[in-house]
Amino acid sequence: MLDESDARDVLAAALATGADWSEVYAERRDSTSIAIEDHRVERLSSGRDVGAGVRVVKGPQAAYAYTNVLTRDSLLSAARAAAAALAGAQVATVADLTEAAPPVHHAVRLSPGDADKAAKVALTRRVDETAWAQGGEVRQVTASYADVHQRIFLANSLGHLSDTTRTRVRLMAQVVAARDGLVQTGFEGPGATAGLELFEEIAPESIGEKAAQSALRLLDSDPSPAGEMTVVLNAGGGGVLFHEACGHGLEADAIAKDTTVYAGTRGQRIGSELFSGVDDATLANAWGSLGYDDEGTPAQRTVLFEGGVQAGVMSDRISAAKLSTASTGNARRQSYAHVPLPRMTNSLVLPGTSDPQAIIADVQHGLYAEGLGGGEVNPATGDFVFGVTEAYLIENGELTRRVRGANLIGNGPKTLALVDAVGRDFDLKQGMCGKGGQWVPVAFGTPTLRIARLTVGGTGA
Amino acid sequence: MNPEELLTLVTRVLDGAQGDEEVEAFATHAVQTSVDVFEGEVETLSSAETRGVGVRVIVAGRLGFASTADVSAAGVSYALAEARSNAAFGSPDTGNVLPSPLPVEPLPGIDVPGVEAVPANRKVELALELERLTRAADRRVTGVASATYGDARSVVAVASTTGMSAAYAGSDVYAYVSSLARDGEETQTGFGLTQGRSVDELDLAAAAGEGAERATRLLGARRAATGQVPVVFDPLVTAQFLGALSAAFSAEAVQKGRSLLADSMGQLVADEGLSIVDDGRLLEGPAAAPIDDEGVPTQRTDLVADGVLVAFLHNAKTAARQGDGARSTGNAARGGYRTAPGVSPSNLYFAGATRAVTEVLAAAGTGLYVQDATGVHSGVNPVSGEFSIGVTGLWIRNGELAEPVREITVSSLLLDMLRSVAALGDDRRFFPFGGATAGATMLVTGMTVAGS
Repeated sequence: MLDESDARDVLAAALATGADWSEVYAERRDSTSIAIEDHRVERLSSGRDVGAGVRVVKGPQAAYAYTNVLTRDSLLSAARAAAAALAGAQVATVADLTEAAPPVHHAVRLSPGDADKAAKVALTRRVDETAWAQGGEVRQVTASYADVHQRIFLANSLGHLSDTTRTRVRLMAQVVAARDGLVQTGFEGPGATAGLELFEEIAPESIGEKAAQSALRLLDSDPSPAGEMTVVLNAGGGGVLFHEACGHGLEADAIAKDTTVYAGTRGQRIGSELFSGVDDATLANAWGSLGYDDEGTPAQRTVLFEGGVQAGVMSDRISAAKLSTASTGNARRQSYAHVPLPRMTNSLVLPGTSDPQAIIADVQHGLYAEGLGGGEVNPATGDFVFGVTEAYLIENGELTRRVRGANLIGNGPKTLALVDAVGRDFDLKQGMCGKGGQWVPVAFGTPTLRIARLTVGGTGA
Repeated sequence: MNPEELLTLVTRVLDGAQGDEEVEAFATHAVQTSVDVFEGEVETLSSAETRGVGVRVIVAGRLGFASTADVSAAGVSYALAEARSNAAFGSPDTGNVLPSPLPVEPLPGIDVPGVEAVPANRKVELALELERLTRAADRRVTGVASATYGDARSVVAVASTTGMSAAYAGSDVYAYVSSLARDGEETQTGFGLTQGRSVDELDLAAAAGEGAERATRLLGARRAATGQVPVVFDPLVTAQFLGALSAAFSAEAVQKGRSLLADSMGQLVADEGLSIVDDGRLLEGPAAAPIDDEGVPTQRTDLVADGVLVAFLHNAKTAARQGDGARSTGNAARGGYRTAPGVSPSNLYFAGATRAVTEVLAAAGTGLYVQDATGVHSGVNPVSGEFSIGVTGLWIRNGELAEPVREITVSSLLLDMLRSVAALGDDRRFFPFGGATAGATMLVTGMTVAGS
């Protein structure tokens, strides 16, 4: 995308005012999105975005300038704009740029760029038609398809040079079901860092069916009761909670600034000894996986908790330098128009040894959450709240009434300590994570998890 | 780039229109700066200049869309060809129409030129000053998690084969801070914001004081008992609730069966003293603009009048789908040049008789003051209106703010909450959430509050 000698000149211009190192990130992004609503193809959109950003870094400080005009002059002027944020004399020079392939490669067999639009519309139709077929109480279906192909050119003055691609595909179904004035929604949306072969493995029909069945089941539910109780999170369902309530607090920018409840806890036992968690960008073809991260550090697996002991944090280059460690390959940016931040990739709670059925059977009074919706967390206090999409009451070891509208309210570290059973099962879900106004694809995976007690918010009895 | 130059660019796209297809080009050009500081040093300074164009093509009622950041002749013709090819797969729809031009009244107040000319070091100094003022505001403020200055000057242009041809420029400047207050092991955070059209309109001291007060007054927070009490919501929180409700006013959501107000036209949906207004021309609101994102003039639309739902928000597509003389309310909105228009509110706010904030608290007597809520974004079901949120705030005793409380949940239905509004404060204020939504202090009676 960029010429190597142009990249070298841009990096050199960016170093003129005393930066420790400089970087140029150029990106071309081709995307397709399709939406079928009310049986109609409402949207078929294509996008081609190009742009580049130049970053200069001195200690903990960074300046960034970007443009979507990819000419040599425009890039040099971005380099000068970024350099203008510093006012010193040059201290570093550009090292020899050596191109290297990433150590992890996520293979793509059926590139969406090679598929025709009719085939993508047909996949989306299969989602749509199956969702409608689930019954007369299905009132609205939005079936959508998205693919993104990124080509990323990345060079820095420390000698990194790479020119790589990333391909992601996703199919989603959002279903509205209604009965007697009660309206409920269901969602299913698997995606991967892969090509269209994903939908040979996951039938589009299963996506429509799952979303519709979820909405229909909620029609048969009562408002959730409120109060403190034992909470069992099903496999995959607890991933959002781990991501929000622990993951964000273990991002190294927050640790370095001491704005998280996990600052200074490394080596301490925070969670129950049953609890181990990692961030793993190397997971083959997963939605949040990477080859290189967005500053050219190889993707890796980072242990966050081992047997309840807080063992590691996720960093980019700047936050790692503040903590006097090396980057863990967690630098991510939404696009060329954003600075990289330390972010999660695929955050996973590792499976344990318990039988998922037995985990429920031991509970006298509790909530079995089959999926969590969005959540929010205050990183400084660790306080969190999550919406529960689908749930059952557990009474005397059995799933009884289906309930809806529950929220889980608690505190991250306290909740980790209260994990008293971990299943031997595991499932992975996909989502988009927002931080600092930037959205990136992330996956979360968990086994069945039981939390001895948690505050449940709800409107019922 | 000025509005005339961008209008030339979009008009050029129309030259490629073929046969009886309708073509529309929408372009933006933006120059932005943001500065984050931490402990007296610049942490990140970002500056940018971006532009791009999105093209809609309608052939025989079928719509296709494509966008590109490459505004060269080749880039633009690629986007037009892609949009045309996409249209072939679209379903015919009576809503696939481009609006016809109407007279546009300019809104010069939204653009205060000169923000691009403010030197970067002056912008850095503003962020540093905000951090300093926040630390100095209260001795219990032990740190500042982030202090940010930002600005943008944007130009928008739209032209179409139906004769649309309009453009405008606007400026935005803001600064916000997140303070940290500590007492022993306990940490609380507080948000402070100031915004305007130019650097001169920022009130850094007010944002600093707000950030410091919101954090420090929560120190020592304990859990509270469960019960039914009057609840007073902070303007920040009522703005979040209005943001959560805003999608329900979209005619697109109504037509797709996704709005909780779908069957409520003409019915009482809020207390008789409460109104809800969308006003795209209100200068005080950050979303003010002379036209919407398909060139239709913006307007004031009363959505709820004295508690009764009287209107939904339309773009050209939802108006055409509805028929019966429905018109666009100038609420076509896009997430930039990369997306085709949907429907969004502009400046959305609660209206009605207002009272001084002290009187609102006095009317509550004993109850809960909700300063911050988590889960409004994720915990409100936009279709059913059910919500259950985690809140932090202060107990109200004898009509005044008393001790802080935390880890409380408040659960209800959005419409039940609106019907139980008993008083609205006179402190209306816009926040940049989900477009531009204003909150005001609000008393709601008889809510269920769950504590320990």
